[in-house]
Amino acid sequence: MMQPQIILLKEGTDSSQGVPQIVSNINACGAIADAVRTTLGPRGMDKLIVDNSGKATISNDGATILKTLDIVHPAARTLVDIAKSQDAEVGDGTTSVVLLAGEFLKQAKPYIEEGVHPQVVIRAFRRAAALAVDKVKELAVQIKKSDPEEQKSMLLKCASTSLSSKLVAHQKEFFSKMVVDAVLMLDELLPLNMIGIKKITGGALEDSRLVDGVAFKKTFSYAGFEMQPKSYSDPKIALLNVELELKAEKENAEIRIDNVTEYQKIVDAEWKILYDKLEKIHLSGAKVVLSKLPIGDVATQYFADRDMFCAGRVVEEDLRRTMKACGGSIQTSVGNLKNNVLGTCQKFEEIQVGGDRYNLFTGCPQAKTCTLLLRGGAEQFIEETERSLHDAIMIVRRAMKNDAVVAGGGAIEMELSKYLRDCSRTIAGKEQLLMGAMAKAFEVIPRQLCENAGFDATNILNKLRQSHAQGGRWFGVDILNEDIADNYEAFVWEPSVVKINAITAAAEATCLILSVDETIRNPKSSQEGGGGPPGRGRGRPM
Amino acid sequence: MAMHVPRAPGFASMLKEGAKHFSGLDEAVYRNIEACKELAKTTRSAFGPHGQNKMVINHIEKLFVTNDAATILSELEVQHPAAKMLVLATHQQELEVGDGTNFVLVFAGALLEHAEMLLRMGLSVTEVTEGYELAMKKALEILPDLVCENQKDLRERTAVARALKTSVMSKQYGNEDFLAKLIADACVSIMSQKSSFNVDNIRVSKILGAGVLQSSLVQGMVFRRAVEGEVTKMSKCKIAVYSCPLDIMQTETKGTVLIKNAEELMNFSQGEENLVEEQIKSISDTGCTVIVSGGKVGEMAVHFCNKYGILILRLMSKWDLRRLCKAVGATPLPRVTPPTPEEAGYCDNVYIDEVGDTPVIVFKQDKEESSITTIMIRGSTDNIMDDMERAINDGVNTFKALTRDVRMVPGAGATEIELAKQITTIGESTPGLEQYAIKKFAEALEVVPRTIAENAGVKATEVLSLLYAAHQEGKKTVGVDIEAAGAGVRDAQEAGILDLYLAKFWGIKFATTAACTVLKVDQIIMAKMAGGPKGKAPGPQDDDDD
Repeated sequence: MMQPQIILLKEGTDSSQGVPQIVSNINACGAIADAVRTTLGPRGMDKLIVDNSGKATISNDGATILKTLDIVHPAARTLVDIAKSQDAEVGDGTTSVVLLAGEFLKQAKPYIEEGVHPQVVIRAFRRAAALAVDKVKELAVQIKKSDPEEQKSMLLKCASTSLSSKLVAHQKEFFSKMVVDAVLMLDELLPLNMIGIKKITGGALEDSRLVDGVAFKKTFSYAGFEMQPKSYSDPKIALLNVELELKAEKENAEIRIDNVTEYQKIVDAEWKILYDKLEKIHLSGAKVVLSKLPIGDVATQYFADRDMFCAGRVVEEDLRRTMKACGGSIQTSVGNLKNNVLGTCQKFEEIQVGGDRYNLFTGCPQAKTCTLLLRGGAEQFIEETERSLHDAIMIVRRAMKNDAVVAGGGAIEMELSKYLRDCSRTIAGKEQLLMGAMAKAFEVIPRQLCENAGFDATNILNKLRQSHAQGGRWFGVDILNEDIADNYEAFVWEPSVVKINAITAAAEATCLILSVDETIRNPKSSQEGGGGPPGRGRGRPM
Repeated sequence: MAMHVPRAPGFASMLKEGAKHFSGLDEAVYRNIEACKELAKTTRSAFGPHGQNKMVINHIEKLFVTNDAATILSELEVQHPAAKMLVLATHQQELEVGDGTNFVLVFAGALLEHAEMLLRMGLSVTEVTEGYELAMKKALEILPDLVCENQKDLRERTAVARALKTSVMSKQYGNEDFLAKLIADACVSIMSQKSSFNVDNIRVSKILGAGVLQSSLVQGMVFRRAVEGEVTKMSKCKIAVYSCPLDIMQTETKGTVLIKNAEELMNFSQGEENLVEEQIKSISDTGCTVIVSGGKVGEMAVHFCNKYGILILRLMSKWDLRRLCKAVGATPLPRVTPPTPEEAGYCDNVYIDEVGDTPVIVFKQDKEESSITTIMIRGSTDNIMDDMERAINDGVNTFKALTRDVRMVPGAGATEIELAKQITTIGESTPGLEQYAIKKFAEALEVVPRTIAENAGVKATEVLSLLYAAHQEGKKTVGVDIEAAGAGVRDAQEAGILDLYLAKFWGIKFATTAACTVLKVDQIIMAKMAGGPKGKAPGPQDDDDD
């Protein structure tokens, strides 16, 4: 009766199912976790990744590594997703989240293999994760926002904890101060794009500086630029979206003339239009003219003659930041250049940074923006510095919004592990074992910290367990002395929201992967693409 | 001239070369049943709250992680003609009720499995199908008696949440209470406005980051966009909505501007500027502080909007624009003209917010009720959020079904067992060979509690015997207890596990019809696939009734 085989699905469809499928998914995720495992912590190593276009990236940021890796395994992609999610929500702790998820799965694996129903595991994990999150909230120490000094020192500690695991760990004091200062300048929404980061190769890391205003690279300039003054104090700044060049007034406009005198008039008119614009700008009292669109050589020389500075083709983002810093607004026409649309700042100058010239606007009245000028040797090095600073900035932003902190360095994880273990003892049934497994999984963070630092992980973990059992809730790994220490006293602080999000995301991903028992892969559609089988399957599912 | 007339003997020689042809019990019926069973087996493990998810990678390499049967099937591209009939049946269910698709598939699969046994016993196909149809009729007659609750007040949030819980539970086990409450809030808030309930009025916006439990409800709309201009916040504002681009009008026909003399040239751009300013000013004069445009927003327009302190937003999707109009009560204007007071919409708060690192623009109404509500889903991976979205869709559809029919039956397999019990009794009193088929129908119903139990990792047979014992005592609402340590039963009504009457009604109907249709096919003729452009799959539905 089974003569020719029954073809249920399209040819080439690949499917696998059952417990082996879950186990294989777990293994795949384990491999991903292994890829980033060694980057955790202050003594973590960096990865050099060369992508298919030959571009080299050096990083120890979990999210960056996973993104560059271009993973195709469907289950493992989930881990990439949670790293991205952590990046989006908190900005740091991406390695931890992947590591945690990997370890949760690893701990669940023996139970699945023994035949425990995955849904039972999932329920236990969800419950444990909820307990852990509550515990973090309970343990977190509130920092008084009312006291700016105290808040600032809290932010500094959070930033330096974040930076200590990065490439720039040696300069963490220097950079954490810079990062905190930068974030404190922003307004209450703390928009990230108001912190500009400019990378300039050359010089040493310590030559990096924070500009309390805007800085951008000198734009392309025409002849006459040299004659313009390069420094003003208290100038008025006009921000334009106008092309100051001789050009056609409108595309597809046509002029028909019937005699020679008319021709000369037209030419004159064109010049007059340009000069009118320039005059209006000059009369407005602006000293610095910035435009998104090109400023031609006529205009450049005109401004130079009148002791004004101009820069055309300014990147839009920079122009916006200048607007935020100096006030005023971007004008698409020069017809209305009143004082209230002109910005101002205390000092404008053009300076030499490395091989490039930079335009600096400092002492801005509103200064809701700032710019970090990063210096450093290799290009990859600066890029990694940028990513590290980005992480630190995100951490500081989060810490500003949620002012609760916990101790890092594995301390909070050890405490959670102990708490969950205690909780598990009070539960009857299979969940006890599973919650215990999750408790064990939390230990991966301190263990990995030790391993990356080359310590005897077992020994240190034993010491940690002991001190946590005796009530030392903030004891974590002391990287400097190969020992344990009270990390709260040692000021290894992290915002509690980082941990909460990491636990939630890791638990969600674990549950997702455990809940899948079948993978069905349809063959990739050929060049026709898009269309499913006719009549059905097109369109999104409800 | 005697042309050679081909003999007309076998079926095969009448067809084009390469066509396939199967007939008879062995070749056609059993093979069809086999295929359908196979399909049902795939989704069976996804049934119920403890169902496992499937990872489906469709033909454009998109990954789905779900246990929603409708999604799995639509991404699977089932090819077997008989199995496709089951897919169509689930599709009908999806359209009719929007939930309970897996029930149809699993039940139809069970019916066919039992039919195979009967056929092997020697019953004819007609007897089996007639018996099934008779049993179905009886089942649908009994079903109204099993109704245990009526959802009287659809504006009572807690009651609605309770009714939605079961539907959500089968997708998002563990988060059902949270989600059911969220969906109930959303549904109720758009219910009060008018009597008819439109599924489209509940929007879902997915934003990566945080966890499922951080999802929230916004009265109004949320778009993942940023504003065009500098104004980012506006409250108590009038809104003008344009379906056209907010820019200097371009003529459709290609034209050139003809300039005759220098004067005209000088005034040209000035005139353009004035024109835009006038437009914006006239809009501003009507008191509008927010402009939404369906097309491009010209730089000049942005400039003047900034000048007049107007928040300007561009929405690419026509649908979004239409929904926004509904949410704020505006009329979209096809030309840039100042809106009349009736045409302008109103919204309490319009602002840019940052959720995770995604900038969103929120149109929020202060009052409790609005015509459109958005559920903002948070989650750590795209797949989780997609699955949440499906769960929410199921929940909303359940609510929609409730607005049509407020009856609820006990879930967790209680209804099926009760039906099975009663149908068995009826079957025994039926004369003729249909008796066997009716009894098998009853047996097929058992598949629901059996699958629920199996998926929960409990011994199914043990649970079934417990269930039968309880139902024999007259406890009609006892169902499978998935949370018990071993085999256990509990009162589904007490536990708040309620299914829609409609879902069961249509589910049984569609499943039986589909099963009977598959059974009635005794010949399969497959034409050779055309080599040219994508031919439609062989038409299998030419079923000969026998």
